[in-house]
Amino acid sequence: MLPALVFFGLFSFYPIVNAFYTSLFKQKLLSLAPPEYIGFGNYIYLLHSSTFWNSVRATAIFTVCTFVLLVGVSLLLAAFIASRKRIQSVLQMAYFSPAVVSSVVAAAVWMLIFDPRGLGNQAINAVLRTPGVDHKWLASATMLQISTILVYFWKYVGYFTIIFIAGLTSIPTTLHEAARIDGAGAWKDFWYVSFPLLKPTLVLVSVMSMIQCLRTFSTQYVFTQAGAPRGPIDVIAFGIYNTAIRDHQIGRASAMSVILFCLMLVLSWMQFRVSRSDDVSYL
Amino acid sequence: MRRRWLAFIGVAVLVGAVVVPALGVELVFWTHEDPNRTAIENQYIEEFQKMYPEVTIRRVTYPSGDIAQIILTAFAAHQGPDIFNMETEDEYPYIINRRVAPMDPAAAGYANLQAVYDAYQAGTLDAVTYEGKLYGLPMELTNWCIFLNTKYFREVGLNPGTDYPRTWEEMMAVSELLVIREGDILQRRGFDFRYPYYLIFLLPMVEQLGGSFLSEDGKTAVINDAAWLQVLGFFQEWGPNGKNLGSPTYTNARKLFNKDNNSVAMCLTGLYQIDRIRADNLAFYESNEWMIVPFPVFENAVNNYGCNYYGHYYMVNAESASEKQQWAWKFIAFMLSHGEDYLLKCGLIQPTNALLSSEAYETFPYADVFAADMARSKMVMLHEYNPQFDDLLREAIESVMLAGVTPEQALATLRQKANELLQE
Repeated sequence: MLPALVFFGLFSFYPIVNAFYTSLFKQKLLSLAPPEYIGFGNYIYLLHSSTFWNSVRATAIFTVCTFVLLVGVSLLLAAFIASRKRIQSVLQMAYFSPAVVSSVVAAAVWMLIFDPRGLGNQAINAVLRTPGVDHKWLASATMLQISTILVYFWKYVGYFTIIFIAGLTSIPTTLHEAARIDGAGAWKDFWYVSFPLLKPTLVLVSVMSMIQCLRTFSTQYVFTQAGAPRGPIDVIAFGIYNTAIRDHQIGRASAMSVILFCLMLVLSWMQFRVSRSDDVSYL
Repeated sequence: MRRRWLAFIGVAVLVGAVVVPALGVELVFWTHEDPNRTAIENQYIEEFQKMYPEVTIRRVTYPSGDIAQIILTAFAAHQGPDIFNMETEDEYPYIINRRVAPMDPAAAGYANLQAVYDAYQAGTLDAVTYEGKLYGLPMELTNWCIFLNTKYFREVGLNPGTDYPRTWEEMMAVSELLVIREGDILQRRGFDFRYPYYLIFLLPMVEQLGGSFLSEDGKTAVINDAAWLQVLGFFQEWGPNGKNLGSPTYTNARKLFNKDNNSVAMCLTGLYQIDRIRADNLAFYESNEWMIVPFPVFENAVNNYGCNYYGHYYMVNAESASEKQQWAWKFIAFMLSHGEDYLLKCGLIQPTNALLSSEAYETFPYADVFAADMARSKMVMLHEYNPQFDDLLREAIESVMLAGVTPEQALATLRQKANELLQE
C-alpha cells in the first residue's frame, strides 16, 4: 500500500498541488525574477478571455462528438466481434492495432490522407463520382473538426472495443442459455441480458473515453503545424501548451490545467454517481 | 588527531588536483538538424578536442521545428545546454531575461569588444546587442529570395530570364499561367508562400505599402489600414476561395521544389537551399533548370523592401560555470573561423567582413542576388511578444484565405487582439 501511495503522491498528487500553487502567481518561464502573487488573477483573466472560451467550445464539441461515437460504435463492434468466435482474435488484433501507434504518428499519417492531393479526397470523390472536388479536410472549420474527431475515433475505437469484449465474455453463459430457453432472440438477449450486465464496463469505458477526449492534444498540434487554422480545434490542452510554451505564461497555463482537472473530476464524479444507483450482480 | 586531519585534507587536495583536470570540461551543444552543417561541425569538434584534450564537446541535434520548445523547457528547469542556437526572434527573450552570458572577447580571441564589432558587417550584431553588451555571434544570417524552376516556365511559353515576376501582381498573373488544377485541387502550384513565417515574409509586404505592425514608439499595433487591407485582400485572392493559387494546408512549397516533380514551380527560401537541392536531387541541381530572383514588391509600393532577414546566433548559457563559458566562447570562435566552409558546404552566410569580401563569397552562385536583396531588407522585428504576434498574423491570413472572413473584419480582429496584448 505504502509504495503505491508514495508513487501516487509523487507523480500525481504533487503535480496537481504544484499546478494549483503556480496558478496563483504571475510567472514567466524564462524570468529569473521571483513570481508575483496575484491570487485568483489568472482565473479571472481566463474567465474574461474570448480565446479561453473558444477553447472550452472546441473541447466541448470534440468531446461530445468523439465520446458518443467511441462508446456507441465500440459497443456495437464488441457485440459483433464477440459473436464471431472463429475470427474473434483476428478482429480484436486488427481493431486494437491503431491504439499502439503513437498519437503524433497517427496524426502525421492522417495528414497525408487529408492533403488536398491525398487519399481522403481521392476516395470520397471516387465514391461520390465528384472528380476534382477538394473537401478541405484541414481548411474549413467544420471539416477540420470532423477530421480531428475521425483520427481520434480511428485510434481509440479498437481499444474500447477490447474492453467491452472483456466485459461481454465475463457474463456467465448460463444467463444467455436461460434467456434462449425463455425464447429470447439475439437482439433481446443483448438488450435485456448483456447490456444491463455490462453496466460497470460501460461506466469504465465512458469515464476513460471522456477523460481521453478532454485531454486531446497531439492531433490538433500536428494539424496546426501542417497549416490548419487553430481556432476551430483550439482545445483546452492545446491552449495550455500555447500559453506555457508560446506565451511563456506558466502561471496562467497552470490555471487552465487546474480548470481542466476540475472539469474532468466533476464529469467523472457525475458518471459514477449516475451508475451507482443500480450496481450489477450475477447472483 | 589534528595531524591526522591535516594529512587527510592534504591527500584530498592532492587527489582533487590530479583528478579534476583529468575529468576535464564537458560542453553540451544543442543545435538544429542540418546534415551539411553536422558534417563540418563534427570535424571542428574533433579538431578542437585534439587541440584541447581537457575539453569534451557533446553536440546534440533536434528538428528545427522543435528546438525552440526543447531549449525553452530545459532553461525553465535550469538544465539548459552550455551552447545553443535558435532563430533571432526566439533568442530575444533569453537576452532580455539574462539567461545568456555576455560574449567574452578575450576567450574568443579578440582584443576587445570593439574588435568583434569591427570584424562583422555594420548592424549585423544589433539583434544580439542589449544594454551595451553582446550576447551572441552569428552562425548564419539569412534572407529569402524566389527560387524558380525554369523548365516549367518554358513549358507554358514564358522566358524565365525576362518573364520572372518582379511585382506581387505579376506573381499572381504568372502563377495563374503555371498552375495545374484538377477541379479545385492544385496538382502544380506556380508559387506559394512560406507559411507560417509571417513576421519574415508578410510584414515586409505590408511595409512595402507604407504600413507597419507597430508604431514607432511601439505602443500601438497595426499602422496604416490601407496597406494592411491591400495585403489581406491579396492573400484572400491567392487562397482557395479566390483564384485558388495556394494554401497553407498544402505541403510546404520549399520542400517540394527540390523534388522537381511538377508540384511547384517557385518557392521562397534562402541561399542554403542550393546545397539542399544538391543533397536531395543531384540531377536537378546539375540540370541548370533552376534560378533565383529577388523578392517582389507591389506595383504601388512606397518602400522597396526585400524579405526580412533573420539570424541564428550561437549563445552561451549564463548558468554554466564561468570556466565553461570561456571554453564555450573559445569553441564558438573556433567554429566561426571557418566561414568559407559554412558558405561552400552548407550555403550559410556568416556576415564577417572577411567572408563578404572573399572570392569564395563573390563567386558563389546567386550570392549577388541575395546580397542585393539583403541590402534593401530589414532584420525581422524583435519583440518580447513576437510568437503571439506571429500567431495573430497567422490567424488573420488564415481567416481571409480559408474561413471567408473579409479583410476588414480580419484587420479589426488583428488590431484588437494585438493592442490588447501590448496593453497587457
